[in-house]
Amino acid sequence: MNRKILLQLLALVAVMCGSVEQASAEHPYTYTHRWAQRAAATYPWHGPYYNQQYQAPVALVVPPTAQMRQTYSWGVSQNLSYPIHHQFGVGAPGPGYSGLQGFRPTPQWPSHTDQFGTYYVRGPW
Amino acid sequence: MRLSLRITAVAAAVMAFAASTQNVSAQEYIVSSQVVSDEVVGGDCANGNCGGASGDVVSGDMGIAGGARTYGHPHLFYNYYTHGYSNGVNAQMYVSPQPVPPFVGHTFMTYQPLEPHQYLYWHKDTYHNHYDGGRGLNRTRAVYYSPPVGTAVQNVYWNWLRLPR
Repeated sequence: MNRKILLQLLALVAVMCGSVEQASAEHPYTYTHRWAQRAAATYPWHGPYYNQQYQAPVALVVPPTAQMRQTYSWGVSQNLSYPIHHQFGVGAPGPGYSGLQGFRPTPQWPSHTDQFGTYYVRGPW
Repeated sequence: MRLSLRITAVAAAVMAFAASTQNVSAQEYIVSSQVVSDEVVGGDCANGNCGGASGDVVSGDMGIAGGARTYGHPHLFYNYYTHGYSNGVNAQMYVSPQPVPPFVGHTFMTYQPLEPHQYLYWHKDTYHNHYDGGRGLNRTRAVYYSPPVGTAVQNVYWNWLRLPR
């Protein structure tokens, strides 16, 4: 009888362990979030190309839980994946649109997905 | 005797687990209604002295003499911006991907829990809104979730069973 109760309690603990893993899915203040924030403060959110349609680099909003992006290019071992560090946040940093200075157009024969001028930026928490 | 002790220990473990589960589920992102604005709040704008350059972020709780705490009106709609180092251009999230021409106007989303970017991932938010000079607190809890089974059934219906018309 007692053995049965013990087994039932153990089963309950096992079930609750599973529910704990589900509950701790995502939280804004995890250490990976801090890593991403620090890394994003060291380089711009855009690449060197502008989007032909918008005449500026375009920030494509992705979920804040997105972690990696894939780039494609011609040639062997040119398909790389990078972490998405940048995230939209509060605080207006300045002019939202400054023309095309310093940006290149998409080449006539694009050879890399970054050349289309669309760059991933994660949405806010 | 030993068995009963063991049962007691297991029961204590269960209780501890229950408490920790409650803590985990209570880890919601609390969005307070602190004033965060692109415009300077409470400046002497009539004399043209609205504070620093445009684009400053001013918190409603700052700049009050004597450390008195105020509860301002929450901002009508706050935009989100890109950050980073040596950006050649900055982007704002609404209206995405770039501002419409000035003569078109602007889109305001006045209810924070319904902003579209909240639907990008599963999470829970709690919105705290002070009113009546800080004597009242309105809490709004928003859960962004799509039940997996129900969503799968809807997808089957929408992609295979629905008459395309």
